[in-house]
Amino acid sequence: MSTETTDSVPAEAGPIARAVADGVLPGRVWMYANYHCNIQCTYCLTESGPKVTQRALSPETMLAVGEQARALGFTDLGVTGGETFLMPHMPDTLAALSANLPVVALTNGTLFSRRLLGKVEHLADCDVALQISLDRPDADVNDEMRAPDNFRKVTQAIPDLVERGITVRIATTVESIEDNELDRLCALHRDLGVPDSEHIIRPIVRRGRADTEELGVEAAASDLPSELTITDDGAFWGPFGPTVKDGVLDTDLLVTRTTLPLETPATALLGLIEGRPQGADSTLNIR
Amino acid sequence: MTTIARVELDQVPLLARPYFADGDPGPIVRSLAQVPELLTVALPFIGAALGPSAISFRAKEIVIVRTSALAGCRFCVQTHAVVALEAGLTSDEVAALQSCGPTDAAFHDPRERALLRWIDVVAGGGPVSDEERAAVLRSWSDHEVVELTAVVGATLMLNRYATALALPTAPEAVERLAQEGLL
Repeated sequence: MSTETTDSVPAEAGPIARAVADGVLPGRVWMYANYHCNIQCTYCLTESGPKVTQRALSPETMLAVGEQARALGFTDLGVTGGETFLMPHMPDTLAALSANLPVVALTNGTLFSRRLLGKVEHLADCDVALQISLDRPDADVNDEMRAPDNFRKVTQAIPDLVERGITVRIATTVESIEDNELDRLCALHRDLGVPDSEHIIRPIVRRGRADTEELGVEAAASDLPSELTITDDGAFWGPFGPTVKDGVLDTDLLVTRTTLPLETPATALLGLIEGRPQGADSTLNIR
Repeated sequence: MTTIARVELDQVPLLARPYFADGDPGPIVRSLAQVPELLTVALPFIGAALGPSAISFRAKEIVIVRTSALAGCRFCVQTHAVVALEAGLTSDEVAALQSCGPTDAAFHDPRERALLRWIDVVAGGGPVSDEERAAVLRSWSDHEVVELTAVVGATLMLNRYATALALPTAPEAVERLAQEGLL
């Protein structure tokens, strides 16, 4: 007989599941699928670009992370990069991951050719959301921070995906934005088929290339979400952890080099969180 | 010389930070910090084996310096020769330990002589005879032999680690050894 607590966490649940249920440990596990990208944004945390090393997680590793995350009691998965859709296996991997837990996958939204749209169509039937970056309502200002022709490609891809029934979220990453500009941006994403509930605005974090460019806010570990983040280089304190500066991986937010079994970094992360002074939670709306 | 990267002080991983609270902890910790989950289990063991315990400070440093000399570990010999001086060993005693040769001329205490014979047997590799085991147990109790033997083992692990990764001796240690004529 399974005994259950009032919040539906089985009494026999492990420490990770209990910590997630209690809100001590964030429920989402992130994976850096790769580090290379077809564009080079000025504020990129990982100095991603066309010429950087892929440092990719294999599909097998990603699926193992997903399966073990569910078994441990995590509730969500996130996939980021680099540009995730540079990995040919990504549509199938996202679908497979979503069989375990809901998935949000980050993409710059510039690669959705008719061929790729055909390959992602089946994600409409999966618990997968694609989070696409769109920073400004005007092409010239948007593209200045991201890449030439970025705005056109993104504003074309979003309705193409929405039409296919795929959940699309928009992430706006800015140092600051005027009310008028934000109003126009929101009007734009609504026109593209993305509701307000699927639009997030977040600050640039001064790490990686943003640090080189002197952009964004300084953030300590306690300012950043402590979502377990798995990369080819190890496990980190949140997706803002495995940043790259001058071609060198930052290790200040490294938790463990061991990534699988996932219990190893998850337990280490929980230990770090429980050792954190009370009240030292994220305060900068970084997500 | 090719050497191993040591974590910069502004890049210390989260689990490793307690070991950097008092500043630069030295090249063993700074290199091990690249794998924090290894550091956090290795250092408590190393600390327990090499740090203060039921075995005297002097006896432990005899073990560490002699073992390191036999293993040919420049980093550990130089680093712990300085610690041995702080533990009260004379320059002649340290020189004898470093030499890998006979030590009876520098060490007169029967217990220490028995210990040195045991270190040479354990650190030298190969089988350990019943006579050799019985000899050390005539001067040291069982639990002391257990601990001293574990110190030899822990030191040998660090000897191979420091030698393989070409860890650099602190300049102040080299300077002190030069002053003592121990380089």
